[in-house]
Amino acid sequence: MAELLSVSHLNSWYGRGKDRRQVLRDVSLTLEAGETLGIVGESGSGKSTLARCILGLERDIQGTIQVNTPHPQMVFQDPYGSLNPAKTVAWILEEPLRAAGLRDRGARQAKVREMLHLIGLEEEHLSRRPAQLSGGQRQRVAIGAALIQGSKLVILDEPVSALDVTLQAQILQLLADLRTELGLSCILISHDLTVVYQLCRRVAVMRSGVIVEQGDADDIYDRPQHPYTRELLAACLSE
Amino acid sequence: MRRHNWYLRLGCLLTAVMVMFSLVGCFWTPYDPSALSSTDRYAAPSLTHLFGCDSLGRDIFSRVMQGAGTTLSIAFAVLLLGGTAGLVIGALCGYVGGAADALVMRLCDAVAAFPSILLALVVLAVTGPGKRNVILALGVLFIPSFARLVRGEFLRQRELDYVKAARLAGVRELRIVFVHILPNTLPVLLSGVTIGFNNAVLAEASMSYLGIGVTPQDPSLGYMLSEAQGFLMRAPWYTGALAGTVILLVLGAGLIGEGIRARMGDGT
Ligand SMILES: Nc1ncnc2c1ncn2[C@@H]1O[C@H](COP(=O)(O)OP(=O)(O)OP(=O)(O)O)[C@@H](O)[C@H]1O
Ligand SMILES: [Mg+2]
Repeated sequence: MAELLSVSHLNSWYGRGKDRRQVLRDVSLTLEAGETLGIVGESGSGKSTLARCILGLERDIQGTIQVNTPHPQMVFQDPYGSLNPAKTVAWILEEPLRAAGLRDRGARQAKVREMLHLIGLEEEHLSRRPAQLSGGQRQRVAIGAALIQGSKLVILDEPVSALDVTLQAQILQLLADLRTELGLSCILISHDLTVVYQLCRRVAVMRSGVIVEQGDADDIYDRPQHPYTRELLAACLSE
Repeated sequence: MRRHNWYLRLGCLLTAVMVMFSLVGCFWTPYDPSALSSTDRYAAPSLTHLFGCDSLGRDIFSRVMQGAGTTLSIAFAVLLLGGTAGLVIGALCGYVGGAADALVMRLCDAVAAFPSILLALVVLAVTGPGKRNVILALGVLFIPSFARLVRGEFLRQRELDYVKAARLAGVRELRIVFVHILPNTLPVLLSGVTIGFNNAVLAEASMSYLGIGVTPQDPSLGYMLSEAQGFLMRAPWYTGALAGTVILLVLGAGLIGEGIRARMGDGT
């Protein structure tokens, strides 16, 4: 199958002048259509930065990034900040359609209803604002808003780490269902190997901006090569 | 929480009453505010003349109504001018950032470095007095403080993920600024507006009091205050009624602002 995304020798920096600091070092990865790639690593290892680079939100970068699909989208780490607090769920879901140039109001609303159903929310939620939703419901709305334009590539940045364990399982299940239903390719970012293991066949392990190990999820889970991976694994299992 | 609501409620009530009072004063007053009467000179407050009469026998209640109308319409016009321009400038500066932002903000600093009333005095000394010039001078002087306030809010908001999500979805930049971000800055804007309103009322009153504000055709509260002090001893009710009106106007807006700020502090 064709490569949907390929990143090669990516470097990125934050800050300017004296404060300029390299965050990503020589990162390379590929994503095939229909595949879900997991990226794990501790806090501050540069996972979100990598996501932002892929989406073109970072300026100070070097290397090549090829995205062979229109409008890749992202579900952000924190469902509290990623939804506009002043707007209703209906508006938030409709806005990406307006931005995509869909003029017909009826068609937009039909799509919103369809997506609402897919993400497992009810009509009554349409008129609510983010503050009137639970954390899990918010993340569902964020997922819906990211997918409603019909994007085939979506980056999930810690989609469940702000949620408690039972909710985590629900949202992960939702993501797995949406993935097959909509034929998505995903990059799933998490600091938790067990979360990644539930959805991904292939995993990249990141540490201080470098990918230290990349390969089959089962292999990495059973026979971690890099000491850092072993550490991560031990940390997950001991929890 | 209960106390904050109380601020806001009392402020709204007071402001509503004062605005009604002034609005009515623009169209109707119990007596003609400029009708002279030799028999009523220095008349003390009574049922026929609620606040008494001045040195020319004019009904002070009617004059205060008219003056409040003028003062209020000037304050609103100043807010509209300074607020709108400040909003647009601050929003764009805060969102765009970079060199353009730095340049505009230095300009605002330069204007804001002078005490605004002093600067308004200088401007009016050049352009001459009159309602229109007062509005223009004060309106322009209010732009920097408002722009700064709005800019700070936009700087904070533009870093939030919902803005990045909008950009990813391909929403146009101007729409992000005015449709996505602006509503989230509303509480801060409103509290800024209440402060601006008070400054406008006080600045207009001081200028007119000093005789470089409005012209006698549209007397404002400040203009009347300069009349009233001439016979403070013989008709203290004139000064009292004017000062009371100014205080109530400013107090109402101040309470609203306080209520909004307290509410924001609550995080609700
Ligand atoms: N806007 C920024 N300006 C400067 N430095 C930043 C910025 N964003 C992130 N960094 C730094 O870059 C490094 C990588 O951050 P990043 O957010 O990519 O980590 P992460 O792996 O996503 O961590 P987490 O699991 O906590 O989300 C961190 O050291 C962080 O402090
Ligand atoms: Mg992150």
